This record gives sequence, C-alpha cells and structure tokens, in this order.
Amino acid sequence: MKIAVLLSAGRHPVSGRPAPVPVELQAIRLAVEIGRQFGGDVTGLHAGPELGPLTDALGHGLARLVHLHNEGESDPAPSLAAALAEGAYDLILAGRAGQGGEDSGLLPYTLARTLGLPIIADAAALALGEAPGTLGVEQALARGARRRLLVRLPALVTVHPAAPAPLPFAFAAARRGSSEARPGRHAPAPSPTVEERPYRPRPKLIAKAAAGSTALERLRAATEAASGGGRLLVDPAPEEAAREILAHLRALGLVTAR
Amino acid sequence: MSRPRKDPRAARAAHRIAGGARPRFDLAAAPAPAGRPRRDPRAEERLALVPGTLRRRLDRAQRVAVASAMPPALPEAPEAAPRLRVIAEPAFLVAVVPDAPGGRLSAHDRQLFGAARMLADEGGGAVLAFVAQPGEDLGPAGADRVLALPVSGHDPEAKALALNAALAALDLRHVLFPESTDGGDLARRLAALSGEPFFAGAESLSPKAVTRAARGRRVEQRRVPPRLVNLAPDAVAPHAGTLHEALPVAFAFPQPSGGAVLSAEFIPADPAKVSLAEADFVVSAGNGVSDLDTFRALVAALNGTPGASRMLCDAGLMPRSAQVGASGTVLDARVYFALGIAGAPQHLQGVAKCEQVIAVNTDLHAAMIERAGLAIVADAQKVMPALLALLQQERQP
Ligand SMILES: Cc1cc2nc3c(=O)[nH]c(=O)nc-3n(C[C@H](O)[C@H](O)[C@H](O)COP(=O)(O)OP(=O)(O)OC[C@H]3O[C@@H](n4cnc5c(N)ncnc54)[C@H](O)[C@@H]3O)c2cc1C
Repeated sequence: MKIAVLLSAGRHPVSGRPAPVPVELQAIRLAVEIGRQFGGDVTGLHAGPELGPLTDALGHGLARLVHLHNEGESDPAPSLAAALAEGAYDLILAGRAGQGGEDSGLLPYTLARTLGLPIIADAAALALGEAPGTLGVEQALARGARRRLLVRLPALVTVHPAAPAPLPFAFAAARRGSSEARPGRHAPAPSPTVEERPYRPRPKLIAKAAAGSTALERLRAATEAASGGGRLLVDPAPEEAAREILAHLRALGLVTAR
Repeated sequence: MSRPRKDPRAARAAHRIAGGARPRFDLAAAPAPAGRPRRDPRAEERLALVPGTLRRRLDRAQRVAVASAMPPALPEAPEAAPRLRVIAEPAFLVAVVPDAPGGRLSAHDRQLFGAARMLADEGGGAVLAFVAQPGEDLGPAGADRVLALPVSGHDPEAKALALNAALAALDLRHVLFPESTDGGDLARRLAALSGEPFFAGAESLSPKAVTRAARGRRVEQRRVPPRLVNLAPDAVAPHAGTLHEALPVAFAFPQPSGGAVLSAEFIPADPAKVSLAEADFVVSAGNGVSDLDTFRALVAALNGTPGASRMLCDAGLMPRSAQVGASGTVLDARVYFALGIAGAPQHLQGVAKCEQVIAVNTDLHAAMIERAGLAIVADAQKVMPALLALLQQERQP
C-alpha cells in the first residue's frame, strides 16, 4: 500500500516564520500508523520553490520526502497531480486547510477532481476496512460527534485538527529520512482577484445587543437572554419534580425513552 | 445665551384673525407653541406630591408633570404580525444550501438566509433554498423558493453533482454555504466541480464586498462577492421582519449514481469526553448541591456533560475545567440543567447562549429560577435521587 501525504509551505501563526502546518503533521501520524498495520510506505510531497522547514516532517515520522521544484509564484496543483498520478498511491492525505497561504482548503478538492478520486473531508481517525481495498474513516463533526464512513480505495482524505497529536520530533529520524528533489511542472499562478490588507478582527454578532435604555436593562438583556417564559413549580413532591424534568428533557429530545 | 430674539410684530401677527376687511387680532388666544414649552415647576411639584403622607413627599420618578408638558405621544403602533412579502418575478436568484440537520435550520443556517436576503434585496432578487427535507421554518427564515435535493443518506458527491446541474441551468447569482463540516465540504466539492470562483470562510459580507482571513490570519482578503461563498458563523445577522412564501419549485436533477462511500454511520458524541464548550447538554451543580456522588451518577444517567459554578470549583469539589461562567467556559449548549445554582451575573453570562434552562433551587427569588424555562422550587438533594430512581425504574422493564 502506497500512502502520500501532501505538505504545504506554512507559516507560524504567531511569529510568521516558515513552519510546517500542524494538521499536516497529524496527517503524517495517521499515515504512519495505517502504513504500519498495512505494511505500506509513506511519502511526503511538496511542490514549491524550496523545502525550508518542511524537512522537520522527517523527524515527525515521515521516511521519504519528495520536493517538486517550482520557480517562484506558481500553482502547485499541476505538479502534485502529475506526481500523484505517476506514483499510483492508494491513499492520499492532506490537511483540512493550509496555514500561511491562501488557506481556503480548496487544493485537495481540485486534485481529487483532476485525479478522479473520491474525497473524504475531516478525518479524525483511520482504520482498515474488513473487505480488502476499503478504508474506514472517522469524520469529525461539530460538538464532538463523529461519522464513520467506509470508502473504497484509492481515495483522498483530508485530516481534521481533532486527529491525534503529531508524533514527537526525533532528531535521529530527521537525519535518517531522505529527501529527493524533482523538477515540478511550472504553471503560472492565477492572477489575484482579491485585494489584501492587514487583518483586522471583525466584531462577532451578539444575540441581543443593547436592548433597553438603563444599565440594569442592558445587563438583563446580556445575561437573561431568551428567558424561557417558563413554567414554575413551587414545592412539588420530589417524585413529581423528577417526572416533570424528565418529560421536559424528553420533549427537547435529549433523554431517549428505552 | 441662545434664546431667540423676540419679534413683537411677528408675535402680534401670529394673533391675527384671517379674513375680514379690517385687520383683527385675538390677543387672548394662545399662539401655536414655538420651540421648547415653558416649564411650570410648581405644577410639576403638585403632581409629584404623594398624597396621604404626614410629611410632604415628592415622587419625581412618576414623571407625570414632564409628560403632561410634552406634546401628546403618538399612540404605540400595534405589534403587527410579520408581513408576507411575495417576489413574483425575481430579477435573479441567490441560492442558499443550509445544513439543516434533521430538517431543522440551525442558527448558522438562519444567518445564511439573512446574508442571502441582503444580497437578493439589493436588486430585486429572490432567495432559493436547496434542502434535503423541506421544513416549515424556511418561510420565516427568508426563503422565497424551495428546491428539494434528490439525495438520500450521506452522499455529498451526489449533492454536489445535483447542485452543479442547478448552477448551470438556473440564473443563480450567488450560492451561499455555511462554513461547517458538511457545508464547507459541499462548497469545495462544487467549486472544484464547476470551476466557479470560490470564497472560503467569509467573515463579513455585503453586496459590495466580502472579506476573509488568509496567510495564517495575518491578511484580510477582500473582493466583490463571487458566485460561491462560504460564510463563517456569527458574521451576518439572521433575517427578521418579513415572512416569505417558500414556494416549492421543480427542477429536473440528473440521476444520481453510486459514490465511493460504501456506508456511513453517525456516532453521537460521548458526553463524558466532550469539552464543556462543545457540549450539547450540560448538567451543572452549585453551592446548593452537597451530595456530589449522586450528582455524578445523575449526570451519567442523563447522558450529559458535568458543569459547576465557581463556588464548587473554588472549593475543589469539581475540576476547574468544569466551571461555567465568565471566568470559566461560555457554553454553546442547547440545554442547561442547573441544580442549586443562584444565578450570579458572572454565571449567567456563561449560560447566555443556551436555548433552554432547567433550574432546581430552594429559593423562589433566585435569578436562575427567573431565567429558567422549567423552574422547580425544591430541594436539589431530594430531587436528584428521585430523578435517578425514575430513570432506573424506566430502564428496568
Ligand atoms: C470576577 C468574578 C468572576 C466570577 N466568575 C464566575 C464564573 O465564571 N462562574 C461562576 O459560576 N461564578 C463566578 N463568580 C462567582 C459568582 O459571583 C457567584 O459567587 C457564584 O456563581 C455563586 O455560585 P452558586 O450559585 O453555586 O452559590 P450560591 O450563591 O451560594 O448559591 C447557592 C444556591 O443554591 C440554593 N440552594 C441551597 N441549598 C439548596 C438545596 N438543598 N437545593 C436546591 N438549591 C439549594 C440557594 O438558594 C442558592 O440560590 C465570579 C465572581 C467574580 C467576582
């Protein structure tokens, strides 16, 4: 089984210096663990002008890194698509979104489209499927829920930050790992259609801002938002109170009747 | 001093009676009030006087005197039911693809409709909603037309193909998606499929510009809204005010073919492991709960996530990570069950986003009782075992 992990040129969110993207290091861990069970090998792929700090990925468990050399500002998708098609990988892993570039998370989708592979988003865990040539993917959903999917390989899977933390960096592994440079396919980057300016955090929407005139009313609005307009039971018997609470929770669909 | 200068001739002319050959003046008539009315402090005091007290007492908070000196207030407009707005012949369509888990719109979906209405109302367009199961809440949310997607189960690829067909055939000026797990996935699939310009994670949106963070949140990108926009939560206010017709329309979608996903199974979150900020149902204890073992058993039985007020966390009875409130975790839960919590403002701030609150407290006047949808004035120490026993009893047969 051949596994590829796509690595992007990231930037550290605080210092702004070049750094690997954490979610891609998590993808390496998932790939290494699946590879160990399947007896597969894992290759890292990067398309860009230079490798820079991405060699750190070798210390996080990656054995081999392929650098598709591109000049300056060029679109990485054609280089990656060509290398992936040539390598005939069974499983391709990518981060859910980059950090330091466009950060839109669109590249895995365009790659999947060009390669004609199915794509599964936001994996938090991977497991082998029972039938040969299938993979179980645990997809991370909001509020800690998961969705377990069974997909046919080959497939492209993006990794969610809820996946297990990256393997710790080991200096010896970083020395042992090999990196290889190959010429990439030059494609001019699409001309920018956006205007860029320094980031300014936008105010988030607040449910009920500044209702009423006095300070007391504003405090009430901030703290007592949607008052249930509810029912009040004064001094019921404990059993009756319990029945009421349970009925209310059932109506909200929380406690399932068995 | 900016008092206007008096003009005696104009003042006299104001008293002039119209008509008649000779000029006639009615000096006794009060002229039309000009500018600020004159205050009568004695009359105000007389009105503020509280009758029936031995000592002279004034109650100025009544503000009757001032009100009488003001021109009569306009009668309050009656609370009107939301007006139905029909857009019969839209100039263009703005499409919305809400997540609508279980057929019910989420708060994020409603914000999406608010954004779509803003874009549509700019040029006489209409809002078209693509949903798997049409529900009743689409009209009030702001949908003019509704198209049912021919998708069963979890199959994002088939959904994207259906949307792509609609995008090619209908005059859709924009398509809006929520930036959530499923919405974000679908938007990117459609962007890759159709090759249309795509704007991920918009943090502000107006008909003229959308913005998003890029380069590790160091740069803000800005452009006119492209065809596909993926909207971040809490960026645009939901639509309110008018009701829309949510007219079902028909469209010949292509036949879906089998995808690569062989099976999909939803696994609900394990409430014991979920962090408090992510939890859906939080059961919380305050200073009024002394029997914490029963409390923990109850949390496990109700399948909730445990929380606590600061009093319990300070006393070391509950971990700090369980603290709800301004200096703890601000909840995003749907339902909050408070046992023996007074409801201090710092605590209520943490509960502000919860839709439903249930409170058990011995004090009828506690703020938590006032906030709650179901308030029970009783001893939590007795209600907890009763609730546990009831749950156990239902589990037996
Ligand atoms: C800067 C600052 C930040 C703070 N931040 C937070 C915060 O983030 N979160 C937070 O929770 N607090 C916070 N606090 C503390 C907050 O002001 C309150 O002191 C605290 O919330 C009170 O907790 P309580 O309701 O559990 O306790 P109490 O105020 O002691 O209330 C106990 C309640 O239980 C009821 N009761 C008693 N016995 C029973 C019984 N047998 N059955 C049922 N009910 C019973 C009582 O009637 C009472 O209403 C903060 C305070 C400050 C100054």
